[in-house]
Amino acid sequence: MRLKFLLKIILIMLFISCAGSDSSESTSINSPVIINNNASSTTSSSTTSSSTTTVPAEFDRGAMLTFWADKIIIPSLESFNESLFQLLEATNSFIDNPDQEKLSQLREKWLISYKSWQFVEMFDIGKAEEIYFKNRLNLYPVNRDRVDSNIDSGSYDLDKAENFTSQGFAAIDYLLFGIGENDDSIVSKYLVSDSSHSKYLKDVVSKAVELTNIVKVDWEEGYRNTFVELTDNTATSSINKLTNDFIFYYEKGFRANKIGIPAGVFSGSPLPDRVEAYYGRVYSRALAIEAANAVDNFFNGRSYSDNEDVGLSLKSYLDFVEGDGVSSKLSDEIDAQIAASIESIGSLKQNFVDQVNENNIEMLKTYDVIQAGVVMLKVDMLQKLNISVDYVDADGD
Amino acid sequence: MTKNWFLNYINKKKADPAPLAVFRIGFGLMMAISIIRFWSYGWIELLYLNPKFHFKYFGFEWVKVYGNITYLIFLLCLISAIFVALGYRYKLSIVTFFLTFTYIELMDKTTYLNHYYFISSLSFLMCFLPAGKYFSLDNYFSKKNYKSIPKWSIDSLKLFICLIYFFAGIAKLNSDWLFEAQPISIWFKSKYDLPVIGENLMQFPWFHYLVSWCGMLYDIFIPFLLLYSRTRILAFIFVIIFHVLTKIFFPPIGMFPFIMIVSALIFFSPKFHNKIISKLRRLLFVKSSNLKELNLKSSNYALLIVALFLTLQTLLPLRHLLYPGELFWNEEGYRFSWRVMLMEKRGYSTFKIEDSVTKKFFYVDNQDFLTPFQEKQMSFQPDFILEYAHFLGDHFKNQGHKNLKVYVDSFVALNGRPSQRFVDPTADLYQIEESFKHKNWIIPFKHEIKGF
Repeated sequence: MRLKFLLKIILIMLFISCAGSDSSESTSINSPVIINNNASSTTSSSTTSSSTTTVPAEFDRGAMLTFWADKIIIPSLESFNESLFQLLEATNSFIDNPDQEKLSQLREKWLISYKSWQFVEMFDIGKAEEIYFKNRLNLYPVNRDRVDSNIDSGSYDLDKAENFTSQGFAAIDYLLFGIGENDDSIVSKYLVSDSSHSKYLKDVVSKAVELTNIVKVDWEEGYRNTFVELTDNTATSSINKLTNDFIFYYEKGFRANKIGIPAGVFSGSPLPDRVEAYYGRVYSRALAIEAANAVDNFFNGRSYSDNEDVGLSLKSYLDFVEGDGVSSKLSDEIDAQIAASIESIGSLKQNFVDQVNENNIEMLKTYDVIQAGVVMLKVDMLQKLNISVDYVDADGD
Repeated sequence: MTKNWFLNYINKKKADPAPLAVFRIGFGLMMAISIIRFWSYGWIELLYLNPKFHFKYFGFEWVKVYGNITYLIFLLCLISAIFVALGYRYKLSIVTFFLTFTYIELMDKTTYLNHYYFISSLSFLMCFLPAGKYFSLDNYFSKKNYKSIPKWSIDSLKLFICLIYFFAGIAKLNSDWLFEAQPISIWFKSKYDLPVIGENLMQFPWFHYLVSWCGMLYDIFIPFLLLYSRTRILAFIFVIIFHVLTKIFFPPIGMFPFIMIVSALIFFSPKFHNKIISKLRRLLFVKSSNLKELNLKSSNYALLIVALFLTLQTLLPLRHLLYPGELFWNEEGYRFSWRVMLMEKRGYSTFKIEDSVTKKFFYVDNQDFLTPFQEKQMSFQPDFILEYAHFLGDHFKNQGHKNLKVYVDSFVALNGRPSQRFVDPTADLYQIEESFKHKNWIIPFKHEIKGF
């Protein structure tokens, strides 16, 4: 009797637990259901619970993802895409008829596009992640020898991983600023008939256009809807993935690549040739400022096209989770730290090569200011939001 | 009087061997499933073979990972678990299981979980218990059957399980758990994606408190409710509900809930276990054969070891009392103490390698040496930080760096409080040796958590 009774209970419970964990793993279809349940159960439970506790104000995670997709990610991709088209146009008109003036125009378009890229790099998700978008657009330092040998041989496959360091903005930087002593000698490389430099430049720019188009189209045609729906708290959900991408970008793409590595933080002595846009020289600070702005805008949920248009963001999510009972809000501290980073970068020389060569101490100080932000984002923010940072698929206690 | 009673209990008190046999079968099967699960998920590669560096327990630095031989260890562990279930060469099988399983756990402390420690400890205890003396292949081959075993052998198992629950319970008697509902509050709020209850119940503060208090009361009182026959059924229902709930709330908890549910069966009467065995007999078409019926005598040497083991199990969870400072922060005496799901702690630690003469320095990119999981675990646990600092020191010394000092820039957040600097940034960790002494290079916790 007893045994049967117990076995039944065990079976029922096992069934419940399996059903429970299964449905928490299958993700996409749950979110609308949750909203419905919530609406009905808050009304039914309000009679019993509202006297002692207040029903928590809701945070619409789906709306946050929608804002991220529609107001930040897709517009920044579209704008970047547009800037690349202009870069391609300028490239074509330059290689058709290379001269000093066209070169300047081309460089101008390159800079505009490079700045625009800073708002895109952190969204390493979906197609971008799949095709190694950020590695193919902005891996630096450029492998100069490889670019030279590619140009010499004329045969290369830019889709191969070995060529990731010989394409993208860093390669264009080299092709527009680094292949000659002065502008005349640079232009002269493109003046020869059937110039292999022209061909390579065009190929590299076209490849960037092609890749960006793949990512943009994927967002516009379908991925956006998938992205917006994955509101849950799992390794594959959009909030977690993008938050991790954001922090990874802050730590690697922004902090380490732009400031830390050139300052020699990881090597012991400064490495000026690791500066972003090394051959263009004077643009490194401007690019770093753009990156800091991109970080600032994403954290605060500012629309790409209109910074006054503010939506749900990591900041508001954090405020929601912290509640009213805190004396100083973490989101304010993070904002202050980002502002301090922007200010500190602004105090550096226009050209980080000069900065690390002449006064690396200031570069290291800037690094420390940015570094303090890593702790806030990665430790404090992720703890409050309870988002995992590693996603190792192993058991917990 | 009491002495007589005790000697009588040890030498004369008999018990039916069925509960221990059922326990053995359940344990063996659970372990076999767990190992197959672990293997099939690719965790052998992920956790043991892929990392370049492994964190070792103090005193067990000699335990190495020998590449593909690791699979052999797992295979041996699996086979021995199956043999334990079958009761085939029980003694050899359970010793093999204990050794292989424990070796696996010692390979890298990054993967430390209380429930792995539970399994290691339990299998050690079972090496000295006569669990293969009934309804086993050993009986079949030796043509001997035992109708009784010393009562202390079953009681020691019960006592061990009681100790675990009890210590897990009193560990929850602290101000964070009871009066802040932390870390349950952080964890539950983020479970908004659970069906039905995610957006309501899991978000209510009163529910966080309710769960915290119930968890504490459950752990403390469940041993007594299980021991007392009139509350046993109710207690077992609680056991099932509790562990199933943990599985729903925390899916990564793995096999642990099922192992605990099966373990709790040991508290039931011999009658209950005999029913299970007779059912199994019918299911497997095994007849209760005509074997020689014997009584098993108590072994003094086994008894001594079991007594020492239980004493150690009572003292180990209390060892933190010997250390100053906040236990959750310093983690001196935190492991091996049944402190389960007690805190939400995260850290960020970067290491600075300095030449003390030229004052030149650089920071280490942890990803060069650690897996993301190792980095995460290292970042907030002092013994990991120290061990890794020594590894880095040796590594760069071998590369030819001189006058080497290793510093760490470390920040840790505990139970939702703002992060705080964790380790003295001026302490050259390369000069500090690991020991059981208090680690005075940890910066004391700024807050106070009252309680046990």
